[in-house]
Amino acid sequence: MELSRRSFLAAMGLGTATVMAGCATTSGSGAPVADVTGPAEGDITFLCALFEGATGKETLEGNLLKQFKEKYPDVNVTVDYTDYASLNEKITTGLASGLMPDVVTLGVGWIPPFAFKNAIAPLPESLATRYTYEDRVLEPSRFDGTLYALPMVLDTRIVAYRKDFFEEAGIDGPPKDWAELREIAKQLTVRDADGTLQRAGFDPFSIDLRQCWETFLFGNSGELFSADGREVLFDSPEGVAALQLFLDMVADGSADFSLTTEAGQPTTLQQGTSAIMMTNNSLYVQLQQQNPELIDKIGTFVLGNTGPAMLQGGTMISQSASSKNPAAARALVEFLGSPDAVLVAAEQRGSVPAISDLLDSDYVQGNPMVAFALENLDKARSEGGTPAWMEIREKIKPTLETAIVGQQTAQQAIAQLAGIADDAIARL
Amino acid sequence: MAVVSAPRAVRAPSSTPPRSPAPRRGRAAAARRRAGMLMVAPAFLHALIWIGIPVIAAFVLSFTSYDVLTQPRFIGVQNYLDAFGDPVFRRGMLNTLVYAFFTVPVAMAIALLIALMLDTQLRARALFRTAVFIPQVTATIAVALVWLWIYDPRSGLLNAGLSFFGLPAQNWLSSTTWAMPSVITVGIWQGIGLKMLIYLAALQSLPKDVYEAASVDGASRTRQFFSLTLPLLRPATFFVFVTSVISAFQAFDLIYILTDGGPANTTTMMTYEIYKSAFREFRVGYACAQSIVLFVFLLVLTLANRRLNGGDSGRH
Repeated sequence: MELSRRSFLAAMGLGTATVMAGCATTSGSGAPVADVTGPAEGDITFLCALFEGATGKETLEGNLLKQFKEKYPDVNVTVDYTDYASLNEKITTGLASGLMPDVVTLGVGWIPPFAFKNAIAPLPESLATRYTYEDRVLEPSRFDGTLYALPMVLDTRIVAYRKDFFEEAGIDGPPKDWAELREIAKQLTVRDADGTLQRAGFDPFSIDLRQCWETFLFGNSGELFSADGREVLFDSPEGVAALQLFLDMVADGSADFSLTTEAGQPTTLQQGTSAIMMTNNSLYVQLQQQNPELIDKIGTFVLGNTGPAMLQGGTMISQSASSKNPAAARALVEFLGSPDAVLVAAEQRGSVPAISDLLDSDYVQGNPMVAFALENLDKARSEGGTPAWMEIREKIKPTLETAIVGQQTAQQAIAQLAGIADDAIARL
Repeated sequence: MAVVSAPRAVRAPSSTPPRSPAPRRGRAAAARRRAGMLMVAPAFLHALIWIGIPVIAAFVLSFTSYDVLTQPRFIGVQNYLDAFGDPVFRRGMLNTLVYAFFTVPVAMAIALLIALMLDTQLRARALFRTAVFIPQVTATIAVALVWLWIYDPRSGLLNAGLSFFGLPAQNWLSSTTWAMPSVITVGIWQGIGLKMLIYLAALQSLPKDVYEAASVDGASRTRQFFSLTLPLLRPATFFVFVTSVISAFQAFDLIYILTDGGPANTTTMMTYEIYKSAFREFRVGYACAQSIVLFVFLLVLTLANRRLNGGDSGRH
């Protein structure tokens, strides 16, 4: 009897967390659009996936929020710091418990799901024109043509390469399309006498496979979803070819799925174990800290097949639809979306500021990879585009991996993923 | 006569109960019951509020489409159909069974072996007991981080050891071949401490006279182990088995840190899929259905084991 009860209770304990979410009052459906006509005052909370660590906290609370307080003395901001890995869970539990933060940072692709469910409040269109934004930077901040967020910082996925390896091999410059990429990668791959890989010609796997595949999908003129987000478009020849390219390069021996590095460790490019790699613009900060001698040896380019494409991730700032002090929350959103705050946030984490006016700033001009990304924002493409994105995004990487490790073909993996995405969209 | 009749009068039913001891016993029993209920009440309330209500809510929500943001919508058994039709959740079920199959019996055997060794007059046995038990009281996150370093393909201890013997390095956590065995190894290592402790306690409570009698009868140490020790340890074995199975089916944090369920879902588990459904994908109703499936798994396994082993009654 004792053991049966124990097993019963233990098993049920597993579902407790999810159920606790289920017991709570919903806050999103049918929530009225925030009224911001009153004065900016009261206590608000800010769920923040930026300003990490002690220096980040000092930057935000010791600098930015002090300025905010001077401007809005009747608003008190409590900051809840998190990282990107936990941001989604924090929002879920906040929504479930009715304690959704008044102001929240969101990732690219997240606006349609939250706006669709009325969890975040629309912003006035005037905020989209007060500073200079590239259209493609603002695109992920909108849903159904309405502005729901302000972009703060961008994290772009670019291609970096070792100039010294290129020179040694007599290669003039970066590849112009996938065919050239494959040839150059084969040429730059180095194996020792017993066939062990010493240097991969190309490392596409050091960034998230989802983001890498999306970059190649966009570079092959493919799309993820239709404009209304209701139709899957990535199950196209372009999408299959993007995944097939990785399989082909693994088969060539010029790419290796196991050739990855943990976060914070020197990248394969820094270690010299790859000649070309997909990377993030924050590589420059990593080089400054770990291998300053390599800075001049690393070049960057935007690769595409039928057209250049650079994946644009990033962090946006949005206002909860259920905020009890919407005027105060709106004031904080506007403040954090201003150039001063954006520049500080970008500098703190080595990201690209979302406002094009900041191209001339000392920070951008002092960071060649950030400047490179900012100059190429017209080629930037974003993931997401459907209200079902939060579910679909979780499935992309493991499903693509099944093809990479040989469990199914690229065609089968993309078809499976399309089925998952169709089901998710059908449930909306 | 008067002497004889007096006891009869005492034994006869009385119409004046206030003077008899029975009601006093009844009041005392009632008081004891009330005291018992008062003492149980906090635990009962705790179980009702924090376990009972969520359990019922989970069961109800498992029949709804619920995403936290909008009101639950009744959809019948669709979530259950989705769960059994979902190849990734099915993979999670299979992986959970594989993980439990390897971690539970292997860890139990090793734990028993260690307990038998530590039950002897070993020098510094307290030190050994502590060493074996330490992984149990160390946070799983810390354990996983340490093993991440051990498994690191370039600078990890394991590949350094292989290299010393001239063997090729392996990608322990990013290979579809090695990821699951690597996770299982950590699971076994981490789970040995508590099992060992329970077995050690059970071993130290075994009756010595039975062994003395067996020795007098000429039974060898091996015969004593199989004919006496193992049967006498049955209640402990049942307890260790059930708690180990539950623990194996709850494996989550190791996966979260070591592999994130990959590569290609080769190490995902039922609990990990429940977590992803609820907190990453906003499919709370679906996650509840997955939780109920997991509960049924555990219930069936526990009842089957109870039936097979005669429970924890300790029949010898």
